[in-house]
Amino acid sequence: MKRLLVLCLALMSVLLLSAAYKATINVLLWDDALTQALKAGLPDFEKQTGIKVNLELVPSGTLLQKTLMSITAQSADYDLVAVDEPNIPMVGPLLLPFDQWPETKVYSKPDMNDIMPLAFAAGQWRGAFLGLPVNANIYVWLTRKDIIEKYKDEFKAEYGYEMRVPQTLNELLDMSKFLSKKGIYGWAPFTKPTEGATCEAIWMFESFGTKVLKVDETGYRVVLDKGKAVQAINFYKELLKYAPEGALDMGHAERMAAFSSGKVFSMFNWPALIPDLENPEKSLVYGKIEYTEPPAGPAGKAAIRGAWIVAIPKAAKEKQAAAEFAYWWMSIETGKKLIPKGLTPARESLLKDPEFLKDRPWFAGIYRSLQYAVERPRFEHYPEVSNIIRTHWLNAISNRVTPEEAVNRMVEEINELLKKYGY
Amino acid sequence: MSFSRNTAIKKRGLGPLFLFVFPALVVIFAVSIYPVIFSLYLSFTDRTLLYLRAPRFVGFSNYSNVVSDKLFWHSLKLQLSFMVFAIPLELFIGFLGALLFLKDFPLCRLLRSLLMLPVFILPVVSGLTWRLMLQPGYGLLASFFNSVSLGPKAWLADTKYAFVTVVLQDVWRMWPFMFMIIYAGLSSLPSEYLEAAQIDGAKFWQRVFHIIVPLLRPVMTMAVLLRMIDALRIFSEVYVMTYGGPANATLLLPLYIHKQAFEFGKVAYASAASVFLLAVSLALSFYLVRASFRGEVS
Repeated sequence: MKRLLVLCLALMSVLLLSAAYKATINVLLWDDALTQALKAGLPDFEKQTGIKVNLELVPSGTLLQKTLMSITAQSADYDLVAVDEPNIPMVGPLLLPFDQWPETKVYSKPDMNDIMPLAFAAGQWRGAFLGLPVNANIYVWLTRKDIIEKYKDEFKAEYGYEMRVPQTLNELLDMSKFLSKKGIYGWAPFTKPTEGATCEAIWMFESFGTKVLKVDETGYRVVLDKGKAVQAINFYKELLKYAPEGALDMGHAERMAAFSSGKVFSMFNWPALIPDLENPEKSLVYGKIEYTEPPAGPAGKAAIRGAWIVAIPKAAKEKQAAAEFAYWWMSIETGKKLIPKGLTPARESLLKDPEFLKDRPWFAGIYRSLQYAVERPRFEHYPEVSNIIRTHWLNAISNRVTPEEAVNRMVEEINELLKKYGY
Repeated sequence: MSFSRNTAIKKRGLGPLFLFVFPALVVIFAVSIYPVIFSLYLSFTDRTLLYLRAPRFVGFSNYSNVVSDKLFWHSLKLQLSFMVFAIPLELFIGFLGALLFLKDFPLCRLLRSLLMLPVFILPVVSGLTWRLMLQPGYGLLASFFNSVSLGPKAWLADTKYAFVTVVLQDVWRMWPFMFMIIYAGLSSLPSEYLEAAQIDGAKFWQRVFHIIVPLLRPVMTMAVLLRMIDALRIFSEVYVMTYGGPANATLLLPLYIHKQAFEFGKVAYASAASVFLLAVSLALSFYLVRASFRGEVS
């Protein structure tokens, strides 16, 4: 008995010593289908490395607060945190630049050429990469194939061209007008006064050929072209006529409900929300959706990028183990194992893999949209800029003020903000 | 009895008494007083949510920034309007409900219990439920409005109606609280006055206005005071219903403070604004307690 006990102890010691690490890391991430999928792979990672992972998932809207309350220049409750790309300039001073991440023992740095270039750019701020882009999050355009099939002849007879996935915003408007006569809404906007409304504003501004804020070596400049911005607002207002009831108070929940119940022809969505639309238990339109990039405005196509990076705080205690976890997440093997569980990869080879495209056609939409990715203004006080943009954007599209007045106030207030912060 | 206790205290001194009270004092200090002091301290610094260095003392600059912010005054005005509309309505409905339940009728106990349900619903759930009920596509209330030709309308997206909806939601949820307190007060009123008035030929409403209301004034004051303190902290239901929108039409003071602190990261500024909220709260409570005291004396 004693011998057996000694043998067991010896065996356990060997097993423990053979693990590459004896560390515990605290990881703070946003909560959605993608990060939930990671949980499925954790036992494997822990077995391979000996690193115990405490994974904390919080709603994306509160992640920044949680991060800033838990991490300072001197201390960090987390060894790895996720940061949404518009917040990178703000959180940047607390993060360890990617080129200073420690060497790892088990998993190697992913092939950077395989990471979608525009997702990779999301992790950059003032010439330095501050983390690893783990989520190629971008506006993907959804269109109902069955509706096109049903009405294509009738539409052609009336408008003189084929009904198809809208290639331009004008086509979207035509199709919306046509479908309104059939009891189908042309599209669904995002108008809840949250970050989503800012994204809509930036999407339309970019499609009409203007940016809001420009950052260069000389500092920040408000570059919003008032004429183009007014055009963009007026076009959006026109589209709103063909949106579902309550179009001026639509968030993700309302948009998903409208689209999955079959009432809407076309709209954008973030990749993490798409699996629910393809789930027969939650959606009436599964298998009927085509995924592409958004339709083009007068200046071209624009897809809002909302990539997330994972970053190691400068004050993190287990930097090496944290890097191991990030590299494991980004590895091809992990991607292949976790995509069936809900993971959306940021690696080109996985997004284009025919094996996955068969069951996840939206991967092709992500890939196509990433070619037209545009970013939101990058600024250390981005949340305040975002608040100004969405407040005046929503005021204009709801007819509370004229588009001209809204754009003037937007420019005026962002300039005041820049002045307040000494730019 | 009181004489012997005083003698005992004199004999032993205040030491043992203090020893018993000490744990409670520690808890009160830790959970009530320290946060207020810390918030006061923060309001004089330049502390942001992004903590890169120790905060610096900036004097009254946060306060001057707060008072020069139009949005702050807008939020304060909304907050006071919310209280002015919601609380009297709750008091009125609660009072009528209590009068109704003063006499027994079949199933009155069951109904009384059921009436209390909204108070026990979490504010965030109440806010979400109202949001869903008002959803123009499939909401229950929206369907009703449609049937009487008042819709479809996005009530929560309209600056004119969003605030009214927030007030109505609060009235729906909190009038039973007023009912509960007033009903308890009514049940404990001495019946002699009411019987005497009845014998003297006083009609029902005469008894209500000349006997019940004056006798219930301290109870009502307390109910209003408690509701006011609660209403000053309103947050989660409005957050989920409107997120302060549209166009800041429902950006009540707690939402304004939250936005400054946790969305914009301006912790010190938000602390200064919350000190204002505390001052308003204290001033209102002081006024009400004094008014109540005067009423009792007269």
